[in-house]
Amino acid sequence: MFGQLIVSGLAVGACYALLALAMVIIYKTSEVLNFAQGEMAMISTFIAFTLLDTYQVPFPYALAITFLFAIVLAIFFEMVFLRQAKDPTVLGLIIITLGFEMVLMGFVGWKWGPDQRALPFPVSNIEAYTFYGLIISKINFWTLIVSLVLMLILFLFFRYTKLGIAMRATQQNQLAARVMGIRTKWIFSFTWAISSMVGAVAGMLIAAMGVLDPPMMMDPLLKGFASGVLGGMTSLPGAAVGGALLGVIENLFGGYVSLSFKSVVAFAIIVLMLCIKPSGLLAKHYVKKV
Amino acid sequence: MMKKNLIWVGLLVFTFFIAATASAQAVRGVTDTEILIGQWGPQTGPAAPWGAVARGTDLLVKMINDQGGIHGRKFKYFLRDDSYMPAKTKAIAKEFVEQIGVFAVVGGVGVATGMTARDYLMENKVPWGGPVTGVYEWIHPIQKYLFAVYPLYDDEAFNMTGYLHEKLGFKKIAMFYQNDDYGKQGVMGVERYLLKHKIKLVEKVSAEVTDRDLSTHALKLKNSGAEAVIMWTNPTGAALILGESAKIGFKPQWATSSTLSDSALMMQITRGLWGGMITSFFGELPDSNHPLMVKYREAHKKFAPQERWGVFYYAGIIFAEPFFEGVRRAGRNLTTESWVKAMETIKDFQGIGPPITYAGIKDRQGGKHVFYGKVRPDGSIERITDWIRITK
Amino acid sequence: MDIKRNYYEDIELFKSNTILVWSILFLIFLAILPWFIMKYHLLGLSIYIVNLIAVHAIVAIGLNILVGFTGQISMGHAGFFALGAFTAVILVLRWSFPLWIALPVAGFVSSAFGFILGLPALRLKGPYLAIATLGFGMTITTIIKRMEFFGGRMGLQAPKLELFGTPMKDIHYYYVIMVIAVLMTIGAVKLIKTRVGRAFIAIRDSDIAAEAMGVNLTYYKTLAFAVSAFYAGVAGGLYAFILGFINPESFHLIMSITFLAMVVVGGLGSVMGPICGATLMTYLDIKLQAIQDISLIGPALVTLSQKYMSIAGISNIAVIVYGLIMILIVLFEPLGIFGFWIRTKRYWKTWPF
Repeated sequence: MFGQLIVSGLAVGACYALLALAMVIIYKTSEVLNFAQGEMAMISTFIAFTLLDTYQVPFPYALAITFLFAIVLAIFFEMVFLRQAKDPTVLGLIIITLGFEMVLMGFVGWKWGPDQRALPFPVSNIEAYTFYGLIISKINFWTLIVSLVLMLILFLFFRYTKLGIAMRATQQNQLAARVMGIRTKWIFSFTWAISSMVGAVAGMLIAAMGVLDPPMMMDPLLKGFASGVLGGMTSLPGAAVGGALLGVIENLFGGYVSLSFKSVVAFAIIVLMLCIKPSGLLAKHYVKKV
Repeated sequence: MMKKNLIWVGLLVFTFFIAATASAQAVRGVTDTEILIGQWGPQTGPAAPWGAVARGTDLLVKMINDQGGIHGRKFKYFLRDDSYMPAKTKAIAKEFVEQIGVFAVVGGVGVATGMTARDYLMENKVPWGGPVTGVYEWIHPIQKYLFAVYPLYDDEAFNMTGYLHEKLGFKKIAMFYQNDDYGKQGVMGVERYLLKHKIKLVEKVSAEVTDRDLSTHALKLKNSGAEAVIMWTNPTGAALILGESAKIGFKPQWATSSTLSDSALMMQITRGLWGGMITSFFGELPDSNHPLMVKYREAHKKFAPQERWGVFYYAGIIFAEPFFEGVRRAGRNLTTESWVKAMETIKDFQGIGPPITYAGIKDRQGGKHVFYGKVRPDGSIERITDWIRITK
Repeated sequence: MDIKRNYYEDIELFKSNTILVWSILFLIFLAILPWFIMKYHLLGLSIYIVNLIAVHAIVAIGLNILVGFTGQISMGHAGFFALGAFTAVILVLRWSFPLWIALPVAGFVSSAFGFILGLPALRLKGPYLAIATLGFGMTITTIIKRMEFFGGRMGLQAPKLELFGTPMKDIHYYYVIMVIAVLMTIGAVKLIKTRVGRAFIAIRDSDIAAEAMGVNLTYYKTLAFAVSAFYAGVAGGLYAFILGFINPESFHLIMSITFLAMVVVGGLGSVMGPICGATLMTYLDIKLQAIQDISLIGPALVTLSQKYMSIAGISNIAVIVYGLIMILIVLFEPLGIFGFWIRTKRYWKTWPF
């Protein structure tokens, strides 16, 4: 049972990690805590559903169109709403993203109605591989692979490409970055686009594993936040580690301690973690200087 | 002379006027041509799928109005969205009584929501027919103006456990439920049966409504070695637990409550895992040849073709039928009291739901029957029993 | 004149006689409001809705002490609200306390938990604090859900209270709630004007500078959480009784978000702001759901839904409008409704110019 708990913990942790990554990418550059992340992923998944189910578009094309939609949505939100805020506070930004979350939630409910659906997906969520007695379903296996690959790509991107370096520069000092000739506004839009795409991947995987309906991202989003805090909101590897760790801890707690209180574990962990090491596991702690 | 006449005429008109207004206002929500009724149901938020019930009632109202109403009165139906938030439900109940002035509340989705309105409606003597949940709250204590339709979850679970144990011979039974009033009353019934027959419930696993990762829950169920698992959960929870169980190769006999009897929906969202499920039903099957069902399906095509003909949707008809039967029996002289009296004469009324009886019983629990069906691999349902009485 | 000559003028409750007169007029208005509502159903209001608004206003005022004046964030106020509600009901139900004792006790239980939450909050800032408080709120409601002592997930029915032998109706609750709301509003105004309030504001503007000036951060930050939770707790107790039935499921994250939205929409850092915010948001929340019944717009929306969207989801328009209001207020009037009021006032004061 122990091994099985770890395996399924890692699988669900991979989804949390993807969401945490999406949030961390935004938080790193623009210090916005994006509460609309889950709903942005959800609406992208609904677009994918419409393409795959109603219009019978082949999967790769549907995926491409969905990504395009995710990018457009994110850039739209960044340009039309967030950028217009006059010297926004942390709270103001949170409220804007919360408001956008409600708008998206309402829109999906209006367009697609409240019924649950199944997202057609090329990987079966029932069939499983068996390694040394441990069962891992195909979808979970591919979720792990996809998230690892995505994380690697993102890591390399931020490390070695010119654009990635520009993004990091913008995060460290916006003014200096602009002086150096980086178009910071453009960078912000780009950050949002990447984040939205990562979110869309997470949304599709979560829907493929379970059920597609408007509230599907509520719980994973909160877990994604918890993972981000656990690993450190400014660290990409931190988000990945945090997600995996959270998934495993949750499952072990559910398996051996109490299944009833499993849903609280994530939050207890964040409160504890924040008390002990507020910056998270893998992020450096900065003290503000006056 | 002329003047005197005028006074007389004036007096006459005045008394008429008084009489007219008095008779018009004697019963709240009932005029010579109209009866106002209302219902709340979540149309937004996470509980929105249940809101289909409230829209289903709308179909029945439209159909009745199309046939000329009942005793010359047509119905005006007010559907309000409470997003499953009790504070809003109570506001809606007050709006119904104080501002719109409805004659009755029909249906009403949710326990937590309905409970905030129950005492208020009863204090104001508002008839309430067929709350959309099968819990004890509606009949304990007995409310004079509240007539429950939905068979009790507790009894349903009790009977289903008996069916699995006695008819199908399962010894090791486990339970999966969602942690709310609905799930809890399901557990109550299962445990009651097992206690009576001195069998151990091998595992009892619960999840929150919002939980989206049920892998540990499935693993626990598998490790318990259960042969049959009864689940009392919402469609999403059911799809998730079935998926997770299938992944780890756990294939017991599943059985579930009537709230999940929409096998077309379930078949789709479980990607075919729903096949083989034993379900109890509180209403005719969607494609049934029951004459009333045929009529309702025609009405559906005519008035609400954009709606999906699912169980939740036409459940709105099932819960409302007894109410309208009461109005029919009360005759032209419809008052709250005459409606209650009429309801109390109903015996074995057969709509598309369970046979409803209020006559000669002490409580106000009308529906006491379910039937069982087994889902075929293609999603259609094989009816394996007739209506069974579940409340002793 | 806005010049203050001594300290006592600064801490006075009413800055001028004009404000005093307006306050008294407002109180008179509150006293006779139920009569108008019952007679004319102004704006489709019922006394119950006004009660709900007042309860939300109490929470919002309390939350504003934390968010608007001390500069902290709480996304877990539904947790404190729930604690207050359950404490009050259990005290009255199980140990038959009178309401006037149960309410303050509920407030103090909440504020004890607020104090506990305040401790980790000492080290946290901005988004981290938002997540920590969010987690705290979720934890409280989940624990309530799982404990049979609180009626478990089934919820608790609040006992019917009596006033001089007759059962209390909405109208009686109205006066009880209004008295409490007015007292708590005055309390908040007073608090902000004293040493404590100035310490809060100093922390908001710069906690490091405040510490350097001798403000004890530990003490004042936890105090802000405790005071804010106290308000939520008392409001929760009232909420339980006007609703008659409480269930842990209703105190979810969306409720915390709504409280926060009330404060931000109303106006951060003022006392009148949250009251306006609570009024507007509660009213919209209850009334927007019947959007398809509004004449002219309604039928148009129905046709639109039938053609392009789904008719089953038409009520979701209310959610969209609600979300848009939140966004637009932050974008165009960062000080909320109160900011709008200040601008209007200034415009008229300096009118011809």
